[in-house]
Amino acid sequence: MTRVTLRDRLASFAFVLPALILFAVFVAYPIFYNLQASTLQWNGASDGTFVGLGNYGELLRDPVFRKTLVNSALWIPLTIVPQALIGLAFALMLDQPLRFRNVYRALLFIPAVLSPVVVGIVWSQILDPNHGTFATVARALGFDSLQLNFLGDPDTALFAVMAVNIWMFTGMSMLFYLAGLQLIDHSLFEAAKIDGASFLQRTTRITFPLLRTTHLTLLLLGIIGSLKTFELIYVMTSGGPFHATEMLPTYAFKQGFQVHEVGYASAISVALLVIAVGAALLMTRVFGAGFLTGEKK
Amino acid sequence: MSARVNLLHLALVPITIVWMVPLVLVLGLALKPTNDPSTFFFGILPVNPSLSNFELVFEQNPIFRYLLNSALIAVPSVLLVVFLGAMAAYALALLDVPLKALIFGVLTLALVLPMSSIVVATFQVLQLLGLYDTTLGVSLVYTAIGLPFGIIVIRTSFLAVPSETRDAAVMDGANKWQMFWRVYLPLARPSIAVVVIWQLMLSWNDFLLPLVALVDKNIKPLTLIPLVYRGEHFTQVGALFAILIVVSIPIIITFLFAQKYLVNGLAGAVK
Repeated sequence: MTRVTLRDRLASFAFVLPALILFAVFVAYPIFYNLQASTLQWNGASDGTFVGLGNYGELLRDPVFRKTLVNSALWIPLTIVPQALIGLAFALMLDQPLRFRNVYRALLFIPAVLSPVVVGIVWSQILDPNHGTFATVARALGFDSLQLNFLGDPDTALFAVMAVNIWMFTGMSMLFYLAGLQLIDHSLFEAAKIDGASFLQRTTRITFPLLRTTHLTLLLLGIIGSLKTFELIYVMTSGGPFHATEMLPTYAFKQGFQVHEVGYASAISVALLVIAVGAALLMTRVFGAGFLTGEKK
Repeated sequence: MSARVNLLHLALVPITIVWMVPLVLVLGLALKPTNDPSTFFFGILPVNPSLSNFELVFEQNPIFRYLLNSALIAVPSVLLVVFLGAMAAYALALLDVPLKALIFGVLTLALVLPMSSIVVATFQVLQLLGLYDTTLGVSLVYTAIGLPFGIIVIRTSFLAVPSETRDAAVMDGANKWQMFWRVYLPLARPSIAVVVIWQLMLSWNDFLLPLVALVDKNIKPLTLIPLVYRGEHFTQVGALFAILIVVSIPIIITFLFAQKYLVNGLAGAVK
């Protein structure tokens, strides 16, 4: 009997095996590699020197590293919340039996499927202080003071890239909320309507709490996405001016590929991974893993 | 009631127009001929639109070659993620696999892994496997990174398949593989559409990995070209924006085909 079960389990295991092999080669090994490289002072070409936790000590003293943490701490709430609120507003409107609603949905979602390279170049053009669309419109409407160099000014650059990120990914939040709205039992609304609840009351008291799973999914994906943000920044500001828009991945990339401090770059990557995994674990601890795995508690 | 619902158009039309301004700008700049820079509507739309930028771009670059390269990277990785991801999702949802929870937990690690932190290591792995400087190598890396999301999404919809469907197939004598291939996979169509779009966004749009892992000019994907234009042909704004359109069209078309499944797919519904 146990023999049959063992064979049966091995057959089942065969279904997971290809995914696990790819995972081991291209995800697990690179993580291990980073851990190892982070203990070296190494330029990527010659032999490295073992420095133990030296790179991590240096990280803690590095003002740019601290800057990337502050930037991430700003980026996470200031992109996730607007994306969720605007996306939810779009979803609530486009969940109604409206003509052309698929056209609206498609148009609002398109920015999310575009390459960050495309989005970054377009918005750099829009925000260009001389010939940019934003400056031209501001001039035409008489707001000459708005002809600012948003991406070139350390005080505004981070917020400008965030705004672009919000434009790009609000459609994604909308799609997740449309999916979440589908799962809500409509008889609840009917009952509330009969009890005289207004649209606003129905939304805040019934819809919003029932979308809990969607909120959590978007929060988790948003945190991970924020920590991983690279392409938009690389294209729009390269982390500048003066590290004003530097994030962990852009800093790791610079250290690894431009300054050739591969050991230090690996330490940055490990720090990023620890933060991201920590955030994910914390979320599943606090809220339960059901929102991720699809199981009811 | 329906008349009141239609009032929403009053809000949606202006919102959508404002939201679309950046995309209209791309079109406007791409269609603006270099010899006639006159524009209207705040410099967004050209007075005399022409396709000359597109002609120039196709003349200066083997665009079809680059398109093919992008497809050679994206298509295998999309197919592999759907197929291998669905297999793993099936096992993790319905079969008795050892260490199920651990496997599931560990796989999600790939969700949090940024491309920039694995490029150096991947570079070495690809060299070791003889896949350095090949589109297949790049494709496999995207497959590995995209699998967790695919597994999570498809697994959710497998869990939503009613147990009667399963019992009926067991009665008909279906084995594990037949059950997966003939019963479950076709039912998961909406969530597969989500995975296709997600994986395409990853494999079609990324530029960091090809930048590092592909040296041969003949196998480079289309996403690398805009950055070249931005650097070398600094003045050819029209050509740059024409390329941006060419890069974006395939993924937008795929999205439009998949669109009707996406909401259901994300909801984990089965069809």
